[in-house]
Amino acid sequence: MWSTLQNNEVLKSALPGCKKFEEVEENVYDAELGINIGPVKGVFTAKVSQVDINEPDSYRLLVEGQGKPGKFNGDAAMELVEEGDSTTLHCSADVEVTGVLATAGQRVMSGVAKVVMGQFFKDIEKEAKKIASLLEGM
Amino acid sequence: MSKVVGTSVKRKEDSRLLTGNGRYSDDIVLPGMLHATVVRSTSAHAKIKKIHVEEALNHPNVVAVYTGKDLEGKVGPVPTSWYVPGCNLKEPPQYPLAIDRVRYVGDGVALVIADDRYAVKDAAELIEVEYEELPAVVGQKEAMKEDAPLLHDDIENNIALQWKAGEIPEGVMENAEVVVKESFYVQRVFPSPIEPRAAVAQYNPGSGELTLWCSSQNPHIHRMVLAEVLGISEAKFQVIAPDIGGGFGGKIGVYPDEALVAFASREIGKPVKWIEERSEHYTAANAGRDEIIEVELAGKKDGTLEAIHVKNTANLGAYLSTMGAGVSTIDFGMMITGTYDIPYAACETTGVYTNTTPTDAYRGAGKPESTYQIERIVDLFAREVGMDPVELRKKNFVKKEAFPYQNAQGLLYDSGDYEKPLNKALETLNYEELRKEQERKRKEGKLMGIGFSTYVEMCGFGPSEVVGAVGFQGGTWENSTVRVHPSGKVTVFCGTSPHGQGHDTTFSQVVADKLGIPIEDIEFVFSDTKSVSMGWGTYGSRSTAVGGAAVSFAADRVVEKAKKIAAHELEVAEEDVEFENGTFSVKGVPGKERAFKDIAHSANMAWNLPEGMEPSLEAQYFFKPENFVFPFGTHVAVVEVDKDTGEIDLQRYVCVDDVGTVINPLTAEGQVHGGVAQGVGQALWEGAVYNDNGQLVSGTLMDYTLPKARFFPTIESDFTETPSPVNPLGAKGVGEVGTTASIAAAMNAVVDALSVYGVTDVEMPLTPEKVWKVIQEKEGNQ
Repeated sequence: MWSTLQNNEVLKSALPGCKKFEEVEENVYDAELGINIGPVKGVFTAKVSQVDINEPDSYRLLVEGQGKPGKFNGDAAMELVEEGDSTTLHCSADVEVTGVLATAGQRVMSGVAKVVMGQFFKDIEKEAKKIASLLEGM
Repeated sequence: MSKVVGTSVKRKEDSRLLTGNGRYSDDIVLPGMLHATVVRSTSAHAKIKKIHVEEALNHPNVVAVYTGKDLEGKVGPVPTSWYVPGCNLKEPPQYPLAIDRVRYVGDGVALVIADDRYAVKDAAELIEVEYEELPAVVGQKEAMKEDAPLLHDDIENNIALQWKAGEIPEGVMENAEVVVKESFYVQRVFPSPIEPRAAVAQYNPGSGELTLWCSSQNPHIHRMVLAEVLGISEAKFQVIAPDIGGGFGGKIGVYPDEALVAFASREIGKPVKWIEERSEHYTAANAGRDEIIEVELAGKKDGTLEAIHVKNTANLGAYLSTMGAGVSTIDFGMMITGTYDIPYAACETTGVYTNTTPTDAYRGAGKPESTYQIERIVDLFAREVGMDPVELRKKNFVKKEAFPYQNAQGLLYDSGDYEKPLNKALETLNYEELRKEQERKRKEGKLMGIGFSTYVEMCGFGPSEVVGAVGFQGGTWENSTVRVHPSGKVTVFCGTSPHGQGHDTTFSQVVADKLGIPIEDIEFVFSDTKSVSMGWGTYGSRSTAVGGAAVSFAADRVVEKAKKIAAHELEVAEEDVEFENGTFSVKGVPGKERAFKDIAHSANMAWNLPEGMEPSLEAQYFFKPENFVFPFGTHVAVVEVDKDTGEIDLQRYVCVDDVGTVINPLTAEGQVHGGVAQGVGQALWEGAVYNDNGQLVSGTLMDYTLPKARFFPTIESDFTETPSPVNPLGAKGVGEVGTTASIAAAMNAVVDALSVYGVTDVEMPLTPEKVWKVIQEKEGNQ
């Protein structure tokens, strides 16, 4: 699971509308995300960095994004907990937003955040399964 | 012809406005017109490192892009119009576009001009601003702290002003039998006119003349201030306020945006239009209120009130708005004793700059806040001494015989009879029965509350000398010209500029009665600086009391001259001519008469006028009132609070207002209803909220609750009439009374309902969640 989360290609396909995901230095990535949910629409350029890495249990993901609707700063604590055969991924995140992202309303924004996070986890799960089945086939 | 003043004449404006034939700023389309949009800061406080405009400039529809630096030397800062004296007022320059630093979300950073309204928005999105974030401060109390970030480097502790009025002799508070203290927060709200702000500018490069159509409550003030900002002669500058979809104080302000549009038109030589968007309005247009008010009321156990001490800490936002300094000082602090004969009063106001949109006048401007504190604290005082709030009020009212009455702060209340509307309201309510019902419901565990607000407010701005002495940069007199055409039809020019009040109707009623002609024969011209000599605007409920008075006097002058002509034609002495219902007749000689229409013709033709008389029938009058006017009344809210959900059911709303002589009960009642909606709205639903970083999180109508008609029961509205001696109409002001009175009435009702728990205050707005939490806490469920 840890390696799935660390795989650039996996992350790229799991990040919403990710058009670009490049490692610019160790654990720091430049990303372009296309988000189109309700009033929040546009391309965000983002700097994603991983800090406090504590393999294989936890790390923090910092995301600084900027787009037409405003800026956002995300700080997500990711925690992997092994439970028997499976791994549960816990994530708690704080996000600060500006501009339309802020004024368009907390209700809308938390909805958007949930959709984005939901997609991310679904995709990670999908990718993890894909990798698992590949591994099984080997 | 019977008199029409005092009757519910239907609004003349409505046939035009309700059939889609109004002409608002956005209806103005000029050949070659360009469109403007303002790029606004998304940061509450930041240094501008760089603004990338190249991509926007390359957009095929873009004509020009300007940043703050491009305007230097071409457009000056937009000044405030109220320099309150004696308070160490500090006014930082507010440039039309921020130059090197932004100070609130919504601060303008770039102006984009394009030949297409949609393209200009697209192009604005191509502008990238690099900011260096600075710490922001949102609350006024936090902004005064030693370690708070400074908005303006040379303004210590962000303190814009420190104002004091009144003094309480030593010992009065200390030795009082009873002192009740409370701190109230009158939260920030949005005026929310249906039509956001708008401006269209047209510059003639040949003549150097500039025309600005703008959604303004005071076009002449806009002309006066912007002429200075733009460096253009007032004589070459015409400002027109077309039809306006509401202002509520939010369109008094002379804003940077209007200067920008005018500048762009002059620079490019083509007409430029700017129409504010709704969400833009909430970050860039002035907000209202935002005052923390700490009150101490001292008195005797028998309910006699002796002294009131008030401290107001006002959030002025990032810059000093047009009336920014006056609202929380003069408007608020001179009226803190309300309708009560309290011998001693003192008010200290501190105005503070914060990283928020500037605040300015909003319907009532300082008066709702002032009424709020006195009406709330009086209720708490009554509770403390175990008196019925009505009884305590009656005991302390300024008595009818005491008028004109000078309050402790030195204002002279023109006329009043405070018990009259209160008694009428009590009768409508069936008050004693209502209190019994409350008792019964309490026994059943239900939370019913009755809240009173017996207010008085200062309206009809105002005597020029006084207004000058308190630092307002205006004359606040009014003028009117009544022009009678050869046919007897009349055009009236008037300085106050309506934006929904219905002046066209009510002022026509005044003229119709004066000249004895039908309303249909009268047309009004307002809101155009080229047609109307001068005007000091529509705010502070001043239009009828000052502007309407000017109309009345001008019509008198027309009659005076017409009478002379009639006497000449009837070959009698002027003293023998009577004028009634549009007819000049000779006393005691039936049948010998001339109609107003005939004289209009004679005057204009000038074939046979009295010797030495100037031709035509036209008169102008400049009216300078000797005092303010002080409308008053009683508002009562009856509520039931749902214990399980915290929801508030507004069951009855009764109001009896005394606004002097009522010219049109229909429009007056409309004004009261609208005002009540906005006041109860503040108490129960509305609230502009910033997060700690200075981001406005209530910036859309999904997040900001505007009151809807269905939120209200039928408003049981009535009037008593105590004429004002200050003007010939006997009129006071009606535009703001609803808001001034109703915030306290609604809050007092809910606090009364919650008094079974000993609750003395809940911070507005009273959302169900907040009320539910209070109930849960008091019931010991937490």
